[in-house]
Amino acid sequence: MPGLIILAILAIAAVFFSLSRARALNVSGGQLSNLHSRPFYHGLYSLLWVAIIGLGVFLTVLFLGSNLINMLLLGEAREAFPDGSTIEYQLLMNDARAIASGGIPSRVDTLREALAGKYATLENIYAMSLLILPAAAALLTGAVTLRQVDVNWRARNRAERVIRFILLGAAVIAVLTTIGIVLSLIFETLNFFNNIGWRVDKYLFGTRWSPLSGVHDGSMDADKVGAIPLFAGTFLITIIAMLVAVPVGLFAAIYLSDYASPKVRAWAKPMLEILAGVPTVVYGFFAAITVAPFIRRTGESLGLSVASESALAAGVVMGIMIIPFISSLSDDVINAVPQSLRDGSYGLGATKAETIRQVVLPAALPGIVSAVLLGISRAVGETMIVVMAAGQGANLTLNPLEAVTTVTVQIVMLITGDTEASTAAGPAFTLGFTLFCITLVLNVIALRVVRKYRELYD
Amino acid sequence: MTNMRMTEQDLGVRENKIEARGVDVFYADTHAIKAVDVDILDNTVTSFIGPSGCGKSTFLRCLNRMNDTIPICRVTGDIRMDGNDIYDRSIDPVQLRARVGMVFQKPNPFPKSIYDNVAYGPRIHGLVRDKAELDEVVEKSLRKASIWEEAKDRLDQPGTGLSGGQQQRLCIARAIATAPEVLLMDEPCSALDPIATAKIEELIDDLRTSFSVVIVTHSMQQAARVSQKTAFFHLGNLVEYGDTQKIFTNPEDQRTQDYITGRFG
Ligand SMILES: Nc1ncnc2c1ncn2[C@@H]1O[C@H](COP(=O)(O)OP(=O)(O)OP(=O)(O)O)[C@@H](O)[C@H]1O
Ligand SMILES: [Mg+2]
Repeated sequence: MPGLIILAILAIAAVFFSLSRARALNVSGGQLSNLHSRPFYHGLYSLLWVAIIGLGVFLTVLFLGSNLINMLLLGEAREAFPDGSTIEYQLLMNDARAIASGGIPSRVDTLREALAGKYATLENIYAMSLLILPAAAALLTGAVTLRQVDVNWRARNRAERVIRFILLGAAVIAVLTTIGIVLSLIFETLNFFNNIGWRVDKYLFGTRWSPLSGVHDGSMDADKVGAIPLFAGTFLITIIAMLVAVPVGLFAAIYLSDYASPKVRAWAKPMLEILAGVPTVVYGFFAAITVAPFIRRTGESLGLSVASESALAAGVVMGIMIIPFISSLSDDVINAVPQSLRDGSYGLGATKAETIRQVVLPAALPGIVSAVLLGISRAVGETMIVVMAAGQGANLTLNPLEAVTTVTVQIVMLITGDTEASTAAGPAFTLGFTLFCITLVLNVIALRVVRKYRELYD
Repeated sequence: MTNMRMTEQDLGVRENKIEARGVDVFYADTHAIKAVDVDILDNTVTSFIGPSGCGKSTFLRCLNRMNDTIPICRVTGDIRMDGNDIYDRSIDPVQLRARVGMVFQKPNPFPKSIYDNVAYGPRIHGLVRDKAELDEVVEKSLRKASIWEEAKDRLDQPGTGLSGGQQQRLCIARAIATAPEVLLMDEPCSALDPIATAKIEELIDDLRTSFSVVIVTHSMQQAARVSQKTAFFHLGNLVEYGDTQKIFTNPEDQRTQDYITGRFG
């Protein structure tokens, strides 16, 4: 139904597009150069306004309508049956709705039947206005814009201004969403800090993480919300991952761009890119089922004690996951270094390795740095692999052979656990916000580095 | 065609530095150089002239095996330097290029400081023992390329920040800092103003005392001013090769005559 209405509005818009265009042709008297704007723009102007007004009215009615019905019914109910509790009113409304739409109410009485009758009429009016109002608005707008068509009417400028506002609207939506997310993170974080009596220091520097074990009366035990073990875990795994991903990825990129023959390159690069498309869940069980036991067995044969879930396993597999990002991006930037620079170096008698190390890599450095930082962001935010392969206990250790947990794992456990969402959300959002701040700082640093080198080398 | 610095008897004592015999170059299926024979003499400036696309750069790049870096390029024939076949398996192109330096058609300074650009060759070849010696080489090279005055206060700034003509002189300084035996210059003055051009020509004349220089140029006057030997290329063929004076005053081939008098190009 709503889909049909939208289609109808768009159809009206299309009709007015051709009407306005035709009228523009008409008023030009066959001489197009008489017109300020080409007929197409007259049509476009009509189309844009009809679509905007029609859809706008439709959405307004859609959102306001059901709220309005609820409000009216609730007022009615309060009049007939004063001082009930919120839940009682809720029940009343649900029953009325059920009666009206032929469902099964919890109880039937005169008040409920009266409300149901009212509900049915309101619902009818609502359905009608949802149909008629947008169409009427669209037609009216169409008629107005059609009348405006004239030789001197600046339809092009106006249509372009409308388009500019549509684009602006899209940008505003994107920005507002970001702001909304950040604000909700901040809000929940403040809530959580309030809950632990503003002992932010305990959160930032505490070493025991077990937030849900200390809940009583909705407030948490500040001694059990130390996030250090989680960030240490994230840090440890990220370092291991980057130790794997940066050298392998970078060397692969150098090989592909400067050593591989075009034939090898033609199939090797897509292969690497396929690696980037493997879902992280697959890497996760690869880590848990293959790599972790392997590391454990190897460790034991060397006389080391290795936990069955280890930071090393998760880190190595995460590194493998990140390799294609680093290699693919670095390969692109290394390839973008002009051949003339390489020629200049070869022409001075430099070897390939000298040329790459002293000319190509410095020239490609900004791109490589941003590739690495992108890889770090991915490692810090990666969840699936660590959930499966790194462990859940909040251990504070820098030994890669032990199980550790990460920030993301703890968020998953808090949200998917059976604790009430409102309690678990506090620490989860706070961890998320902290993670967000860290990635933000990383990105800012990356931008700075890149800009500094750009200035130097451009 | 005035200002000939050469006299005939100067040429008699020179030895062949590079001998090319029956050189053919192909880019995939394009036959870019056809059976070219040339001798590059020691302590001599040789100029390559000819219309655009005739293969001057291609032939120049054969002399230090820069064509090796182009996968589709194939070179056949015999090129000898001091009697040794430079395309022999035992020859390392890297060592060859240290002896045969090159300045490219388009300036290509490295994204490094001006100082590091010039110090690049001496460093990778270990030509200097300490910083003081390196400083000296850098200054001497920049002076020879007549860019010292403009660059001396900004040695630590990126070479890419110089103007096009300054960049080209920087590239010349970079090439001579490596102390090659032969210097190949592909239109080194195409981005330079007349003053800088005159200085570079002076430099080329100086360089002749220690190296042999091959220069590609589109300027007949320049070829006449700086070179003692001239080779005229046309459509991949070496049409005429001989003393500059003779080529410009009394060419044997009609095509040479037409080209130097500007009838085609
Ligand atoms: N990398 C390459 N790949 C394919 N063909 C090439 C390549 N370089 C040069 N050629 C071809 O070889 C021929 C000779 O080119 P070359 O660059 O040697 O000319 P040139 O005499 O230096 O011209 P100009 O005076 O314009 O610099 C041309 O036909 C050109 O298209
Ligand atoms: Mg050329």
